[in-house]
Amino acid sequence: MKKYILIIVMLFLIIFLASACSIQDYAADQTKLTIAEQYGLAYAPVQLIKELSLLEKADPSLEVEWKQLSNTTAIREAMLAGEVDIAFMAIPPFLIARDKGMKWKIISGLSESPLGLMTNREYINSLADFKAEDRIALPQPGSIQHILLSMAVERDFAEVNKFDDQLLTMNHPDAMNALLAGREVSAHFASPPYLFLESKEKGIKKILSGKEAFGGEFTFIVGVSTEEFYQQQSKNYKVFLEALTEALNFINQQPQAADILADNYNLTAAEMKEYLNWPGMEFTSKIKGLEEFLAFMTAEGYLKENNYQRSELIFTEELVTEKKETVLEGAEQDGK
Amino acid sequence: MENKYRQRLVWVTVLALFWQLTAWSGLFSDLIFPGLDQIFLALLKSLKDGTLVKQIAFSLSIIIQGLIIAAAAALILALTAYFSKYADGLIDTLTALAHPLPGIALMPLILIWFGSGKTAILIVIIHSVLWPLILNLSTGFNSIPDIYTLIAKNYRLNKLEFMFKILIPASFPYFISGLKIAWARSWRALISAEMLFGAINSLGGLGWYIFQKRVFFDLPGVFAGIIVIIFIGVTVEDFIFKKLETNTVRKWGMLK
Repeated sequence: MKKYILIIVMLFLIIFLASACSIQDYAADQTKLTIAEQYGLAYAPVQLIKELSLLEKADPSLEVEWKQLSNTTAIREAMLAGEVDIAFMAIPPFLIARDKGMKWKIISGLSESPLGLMTNREYINSLADFKAEDRIALPQPGSIQHILLSMAVERDFAEVNKFDDQLLTMNHPDAMNALLAGREVSAHFASPPYLFLESKEKGIKKILSGKEAFGGEFTFIVGVSTEEFYQQQSKNYKVFLEALTEALNFINQQPQAADILADNYNLTAAEMKEYLNWPGMEFTSKIKGLEEFLAFMTAEGYLKENNYQRSELIFTEELVTEKKETVLEGAEQDGK
Repeated sequence: MENKYRQRLVWVTVLALFWQLTAWSGLFSDLIFPGLDQIFLALLKSLKDGTLVKQIAFSLSIIIQGLIIAAAAALILALTAYFSKYADGLIDTLTALAHPLPGIALMPLILIWFGSGKTAILIVIIHSVLWPLILNLSTGFNSIPDIYTLIAKNYRLNKLEFMFKILIPASFPYFISGLKIAWARSWRALISAEMLFGAINSLGGLGWYIFQKRVFFDLPGVFAGIIVIIFIGVTVEDFIFKKLETNTVRKWGMLK
């Protein structure tokens, strides 16, 4: 018995030591900001922050680390582990983790974006035409694409998980290749730039847009951060917020934004310009559709009944400057 | 034997206790480190609504199919290699080329060639199981003492009789240890394939279960899936393989 107790004590000691080390690390890290980035046109303002070194300009002592992570789940896990301070994702995956008890909130909206369910099958013209063997590729269950599909399916067939058996978990580049190959995958719920690339291909058509599925406008990507970061590094939080506002203004007002970003996305400046001004592509800090996502996901059992207030989900509302607001409205009219 | 189980029980209790105390101590948020109570609640919930049972059955059925196909193929290939010098060269080369290749590395190819259905997973399993089985069987065949083959010559056994009466029984311990490796490897291949391919039919298997729990941020659920995998692994090792051993190699006096 003595031996066992000794071993237990040892194990505990190791754990305590390990945790003590990690806590120290965190406290010392006031001068470091880690941001998770993902590939996609909707993240363009974040890329601008990086390209224009807006954070470093605002606070030269700040060490900014950009972490490339492949999907939302990985980002969430990295944030939980304390490796990432600020990340960007769609509202549903944020809500799912918030609901499970993760202490984080939305910093700001980032972008609205056209999304679309693209198909390569001739006989599919609406959701009703899907056969049992048709596979739909999307990033993962619980992603915004999945929730949007569920919303549309719920409306059309009153059966929220009608297509859940036919989902194929694929990242966007793989899904696009599979869609173009035309064998395994019949449809792909795409976001830009994949949506734009696919819509230029022959034989591929859009049968459902994100707006139709949602029943209105919604914010595609939001910036999120942990409450711990917000409280302990309020200075860095503010620096980031200002940089974000600046980037949003820049992308909406400065035509050279496209030139700066083109390399980043491996596109020509002309293509970049076309994509940034694609109808429905908006870069704004406004958060739209949060309540609708919340209501739908609660009603369908993706979330527990928690009755969140907006203030429980968002740090500070409305950081938008007056100037940007007017420009945005102008851009909207142009788009239409 | 008794002693082994008692020891195991003690250690599992100690580890569980340690786990639970760490969870209770509040050192880590229970999002990162859920207590055993949460884990077992998640497990019970999944077992109750029946999907997990079906997912387990689905995973097991694919594994068994894969193992049977791979074992049959390995037996045929190893026997061919034993009797023919040319085939031996070919099979040896193939094994050398394919054995170090992880099934996951072949995933993109398999996805293009066979789609993402059950066939794809079956192929990943067969790939990860076939080569170690062939290696084990060939080693087994080649390490049979000469006196056995000489006995076969004395009795003027033909090739078939030699195969079934001497070659296969004499290399049976190798076959069983090959099967054990195959079993462990097929589990790994299956879980990773399921996590990559997504739900193959309406259910998906255990890997899909874990993946789903992960994307919905349900860590107790992830652990529940892991516990099921451990439980099945230990059960198969302790009961099925043990039984196979006692009924064959132990009975024949080849293994103490």
